[in-house]
Amino acid sequence: MIGASKQALVTGGSAGLGAAVVRWLAAGGYDIVMLDRDQPRSEVKFVDFLQCDLASRTALDRSVPELIAGGPYDVVVLNAGISATGRFEAMSAQDHIDVLRVNTEAPMVIAARLLEAGALNPGAVMVFVSSLSHFTGYPGAATYAASKDALAVYAGSLRKVATSKSVTITVAFPGPLRTDHAEIHAPEGADASKRMDPNLAAGLIMSDALSGRKNSIPGRNNRLAAAAGRMMPKPMTALMRRLIYVRLKR
Amino acid sequence: MIGGRSRRILITGGNAGLGLALAKKLARHHKLLLSGRKSQIEVSDTLPRGAGYIVADQADPEMSTLALVRGIRDFGWDSLDNAVLNAGIGVAPGEGFDSTEAIRQTLDVNLMAAILQAQALFPLLEKSKGTLTFIGSVVHTGSATIPAYAASKAGLHGLARALRSEWKGKISVQVLHPGPAKTGIHDKAGYDPGRMRALFLKSDDMASMMASAIASRRSPLTLSWVRYLNGGAILGRRL
Repeated sequence: MIGASKQALVTGGSAGLGAAVVRWLAAGGYDIVMLDRDQPRSEVKFVDFLQCDLASRTALDRSVPELIAGGPYDVVVLNAGISATGRFEAMSAQDHIDVLRVNTEAPMVIAARLLEAGALNPGAVMVFVSSLSHFTGYPGAATYAASKDALAVYAGSLRKVATSKSVTITVAFPGPLRTDHAEIHAPEGADASKRMDPNLAAGLIMSDALSGRKNSIPGRNNRLAAAAGRMMPKPMTALMRRLIYVRLKR
Repeated sequence: MIGGRSRRILITGGNAGLGLALAKKLARHHKLLLSGRKSQIEVSDTLPRGAGYIVADQADPEMSTLALVRGIRDFGWDSLDNAVLNAGIGVAPGEGFDSTEAIRQTLDVNLMAAILQAQALFPLLEKSKGTLTFIGSVVHTGSATIPAYAASKAGLHGLARALRSEWKGKISVQVLHPGPAKTGIHDKAGYDPGRMRALFLKSDDMASMMASAIASRRSPLTLSWVRYLNGGAILGRRL
């Protein structure tokens, strides 16, 4: 198998951080299987593109065998995510349901099924994209915060069994990114230039993952925010309330 | 309890385990409405006297939320002083991985239902500046034995953290993380704690700690041996 290319799976690779991860992997010579609800806009050629809305359990169940067949993978990046910002009580029940299905349930199911089926090569890395909100709290997106906390803890809980299959698990906690997603969910008047370039974030996260780091918090400011949130969780959440919740449009 | 006001308290999963232990603790002084998966007839002998009961199976988050809202209204309540979202299940995958079904069920019962119920109960709690209590678990930071369960409880932790901030001044939101107690949850999860069970707190003591934690309105609170040995089951505020 000398010279055989490496195989990667990325969910949510059509836009935002996922698209940046796809570009990073493509530049590194990976063959990429990509799953997304939306058609990819990038020029990257995929070995397989699976159109799947992860909010739908039946759609995911249909895609799982294909995801397994697309392996064995050297890199799996479970990145697909959606958000819902606003006052918790004012959001529709369906919004809450979709956030939890896409952000938590789907990556948990995909990870468990891939590991169970042996669809990762020994030495492979699996990346779960959580959020900096895991450390800071996120008033104004309570269900989103819940979904990302649950995912981070699931990833950590899988580490033992993944290690027995020689798979390392990295949890990524990106802060605000300059993506379409952020444009919709950031408070009005927020300075977009302060948000991180997704290409930069993708590079930092993937470097951390490939060097076997357990956690990846891209960027110095984000690491400071995470440290502050760990040491002083309550003042940090109060700060997030001032920065986000009180400035919400909805 | 001198001068203590009788409160209207809803406890989900109130027909067994910690939920029932808490209900028994509070039944003497407060009005209770309990919910569970079992039918009224199955639970009528176990519930404390005077407590109302709503059949609400959390495995269907949306339907169970509707059932709760309807049940509260039919009981004649137009407000709630306390809602204790306690219902939960665990599934231990053993040597293998959580099945897809187990992942979905665990998230639905423990987290999704709690999210939808918190939303639906908002107006009732707001009316009386009440307290919303999520029952988490000490494993909310992770567990290789019960990964999906740990994830669902981590979700409750993050939810409570955000909601406590969002609803400041309107509703006190808190999350309590009980350590292991002598309830039926381990058998139901297919996990045998073996001799470790001897170290589990009695559910009655845990319920006492839960009651004073609820009265304190603080969050997050871990309810385990440390608190117990500091008098957590006998000292502290009374609801």
